[in-house]
Amino acid sequence: MLLDTTPATSGFSLLQRRQRGALRLSGLLAAAIGTVAIAGQQGDPSVKRLPAAGAANGALTIGAVIALTGNANLYGQDQRLGIDLARRWSLSRAPQRPLRLQLEDGGSDEATAIAAFNLLIKQGALALIGPTLSQQAFAADPIAQRRGVPVVAPSNTAKGIPQIGHFISRVSAQSSVIAPLSITEALRRDPKVRRVAVFYAQDDAYSTAETLIFQKALAARGLPPVTIQRVQLADNDFQIPITAALQLQPQLVVISVQAVAGGNLIRQLRELGYRGQIVVGNGLNTPNIYPICQRWCDGILIAQAYSPELNTPINRTFLRLFRASNPGESPSQIAAQAWSAYQVLFEAVQRLQARGGLEDVGLGQAREALMQELLSGRYDTPLGPIHFQRDGEVVQGRFYVAQVRMDPGGRTGRFELVRNASAPASAAPAAGAATSPPVPLTAR
Amino acid sequence: MAAMIDNGLLVQMLIGALLGVSVYLPLAAGQLSLASPAFYAVGGTLAALLSTSWPVLGAGADGTFPLASFLLELLLGGLLAGALALLVGRLVLRLQGIYLAIATIALVEIVRVAILNLPFTGGAIGIFGIPQPFPTAAGYLLPALALLALAGWVCQRLEGMPLGRAMAAIRNDELAARCMGIDTTGVKLTAFVLSAVLAGSTGALAAHFLNTWNARQGSFDTSVTMLAFVILGGSRSWLGPVVGGLLLTALPELLRPVGDARLVLFGLVILLGPVLFPQGLITPSLLERLGAPLRPASWRRRGGVAP
Amino acid sequence: MIESLLQTLLNGAASGGVYALVALGYTLVFSVLGVINFALGALFSLGGYLTYLLMGGRISANGALPGWGLPLELPFPLALLLAAALTGLASLVVEKLAFVPLRRRNAEPLLYLITSLGAGLVVVNLLQMLMGAEGYAFPASALAGLPAAVVVAGARIRSVQVLLLAVCAAAVLALTLWLERSRGGRALRAVAEDATTARLLGINSDAMLRLAFLLSGALAGLGGGLIGVSISLPGPYVGIGYGLKGLAVLVLGGLGSVPGAIAGGLLLGLAEAMVPSGASGWRDALAFAILFAVLLVRPSGLLGRRLVEKV
Repeated sequence: MLLDTTPATSGFSLLQRRQRGALRLSGLLAAAIGTVAIAGQQGDPSVKRLPAAGAANGALTIGAVIALTGNANLYGQDQRLGIDLARRWSLSRAPQRPLRLQLEDGGSDEATAIAAFNLLIKQGALALIGPTLSQQAFAADPIAQRRGVPVVAPSNTAKGIPQIGHFISRVSAQSSVIAPLSITEALRRDPKVRRVAVFYAQDDAYSTAETLIFQKALAARGLPPVTIQRVQLADNDFQIPITAALQLQPQLVVISVQAVAGGNLIRQLRELGYRGQIVVGNGLNTPNIYPICQRWCDGILIAQAYSPELNTPINRTFLRLFRASNPGESPSQIAAQAWSAYQVLFEAVQRLQARGGLEDVGLGQAREALMQELLSGRYDTPLGPIHFQRDGEVVQGRFYVAQVRMDPGGRTGRFELVRNASAPASAAPAAGAATSPPVPLTAR
Repeated sequence: MAAMIDNGLLVQMLIGALLGVSVYLPLAAGQLSLASPAFYAVGGTLAALLSTSWPVLGAGADGTFPLASFLLELLLGGLLAGALALLVGRLVLRLQGIYLAIATIALVEIVRVAILNLPFTGGAIGIFGIPQPFPTAAGYLLPALALLALAGWVCQRLEGMPLGRAMAAIRNDELAARCMGIDTTGVKLTAFVLSAVLAGSTGALAAHFLNTWNARQGSFDTSVTMLAFVILGGSRSWLGPVVGGLLLTALPELLRPVGDARLVLFGLVILLGPVLFPQGLITPSLLERLGAPLRPASWRRRGGVAP
Repeated sequence: MIESLLQTLLNGAASGGVYALVALGYTLVFSVLGVINFALGALFSLGGYLTYLLMGGRISANGALPGWGLPLELPFPLALLLAAALTGLASLVVEKLAFVPLRRRNAEPLLYLITSLGAGLVVVNLLQMLMGAEGYAFPASALAGLPAAVVVAGARIRSVQVLLLAVCAAAVLALTLWLERSRGGRALRAVAEDATTARLLGINSDAMLRLAFLLSGALAGLGGGLIGVSISLPGPYVGIGYGLKGLAVLVLGGLGSVPGAIAGGLLLGLAEAMVPSGASGWRDALAFAILFAVLLVRPSGLLGRRLVEKV
């Protein structure tokens, strides 16, 4: 052969080239992943020394993981507001150790909350506020616990959250404490109730836990429900479960659902002719239900951990700041709890700073010391006076039962306080006088 | 940028890549099956249940978990998912094209609701406090990478094996393949089961990684996201979904600085991806170019000229 | 007994009507283009919000724009129709961005799924950014004068549900008549049957395709507005659930079959209504279980054309 006409690709079929290409690309990817893995490992911030309080970069970071997207951002909005107001208030107190707030979107799912926690911890947050949902907390709190980062939960009320670990605490009282108060009030108003219908969102962790508490309280009063209707969070049309329940002619309806679905459920209940009392759970503890159920919301009973009508200096300050940016409205429990979470951390940091506990220590030690300080303090918050048990559970002196009162236009309304209630005997006694005699909780 | 991806996110990216390969396998045999999230959910539920309710596996009181039990769960998760796929596959694979896709979406929803409603799976609350075989997220990197490497190795070898060639033939033209004597049902079923096994093992890994597990893991959203991994990454090679899975899982997190608009941007990426890269990122021609011999062929030619 | 049967029928028909609307939306596009428009659920939400805004509803966009609203306060029927029309236009935009570039390159059907999904994500998240996460209920004046609920032979049904049923039935009837009788409708059906032949016969296929998108968007928007007035708008994701169920109905009835979509919608609505309330958690799975079962027995859906492979 004088001329070699062998094509350049001779000896290498396309298949072999693809396979070799795939191998090389895999190698590249593996190397890239390895690099990213190592880069992600560096710099455990917990050994870094804290800067001095007066230094230019002396501000310590408080991280907040709040649901700003997804279906829980209804609560996240209020929480963001509450935390922001508390931060502004704290600045006006000329703190010795300034604090910086870093807010991250925790989404409404576990993975986003985990990512947000990891991000903030890695960036050296002193402590964390959040996450919004109890089910997110079960996923993300163990991470903070392992890394030794204090967490103050503003709105997790499910059972077992502070027990996740030493570093986990909350300012939101457990639903088992609050929920039965509204049942008591409803039965007080109409002692002749015999038939109770229960609705709950069975695909929501919080509602599922809360309804058990309601049912237990009802059973303790000798009133097992005549029907238990299970709905889905994504439902908005409750024609079917409502008509099924109304056939049994209930005199009291107890609802454990999240806000929007709850608003619809109430409206449809009324439209389909139900005239009895309605007791709702914590998921409807937000003014965001007003536009949904409008005038049909009037008269529903809810037990709360916060009342705007509490007449203490800190609550008046909170109300003043709140109304400056939201004229004519009253803050929700969620906002008040978010404020309290920030306030509690702020005050604990300042106390620790005053004792010298934040000078010349590493971040890890500071976090540990802060947790100790947090658990040992007493705080005067818009929720009333609170402190913590050793396991991080909040001890709150007083609770409230409120009734929704809608304005004649049906677009706005408020939670009107109808009853103050004191805490169960095992907790600290309420401080300050109530405006009406406290109703002791029934034995459970 | 590398520093923004901490090890936890990296593990999530690897899980995304694994799920992408799981969708790729049936697609390589021409079957658009979106059933992987169902098997992912099954594997995860099994791992969550076993590790929290079977003391024999050795879950410690402080939340630790022996590595051997963890690996066992990966295996069992995959096997259970595979068994389920074997049962369901024969029925489902009789369907064609878009009908198959919709039927698999239906399967995902049925499994999700079943897990939500069965008494022992924890309902809406799910199962939490899943014990950890590793003290930090970084520990999961190695098992995830190993699983991915295993999956990649299988896919790579498939191309040269008769099974792989049969799959490609079916993808090209199922009728012709059947006429040539290929057992199309068996091949399709094999691909389906392999994909389920991978998804099930991934689920078991993810359950431990996420600390908690519930019916919301593995739903229709996951189906379409995984499909996006494959389409944007490239559906002609297993590396396509790997790259697609890595990138698209990282993207919403990397877009955090953008703030509220980040999911809008994410949607834009998915909208424009197929327009800009109709064959995906990893195309066969890209692989061919990457696989070019290092020595230019002209050297060989010179050496090969006969006098 | 009769009244509980009637109750079930009424409950089922109302939700079935909306499912049928969404399924018809999918059917129109599928019959001419052969692909599923995954952005339909997002358009459903869009229609709901547009109806709300046109009625003078106020939004607050996560607190950023408290009390903002359009300087309009249209009565409900007008707002509904206008919102549906606007959603149809939005559907055309989606077509332009997500479908046309792919058609130019003769892309495989799978890619349309992804781009329409991306378009849907963009719309839903834009809505989230602009409208915020609050739920919005339509002003009570929407149904001025109607009693809250009517009683039909012992069965109670909310008046809005009756309205929903009536409007859905009217829309479906109008669409079917238009497809059967009018020139435009017959041209559309011709393109659906065989685009090449239709073009040879002088029908402008591209225009028909755009018309299909317009109508499909309008149907989805109509559904969104109806659901909004009946139930309220819980968030931008409301359309996704209906989109998914509509997809199930689409396949159930047979891809590309208009009577199939209608029958499938009603069937699904009824089946869901018949689930006893103790098992209400399984209701969502019912749609898909039925779908699954039907597909196994009749792979092309109830009334669909059998897929014949041409060799």
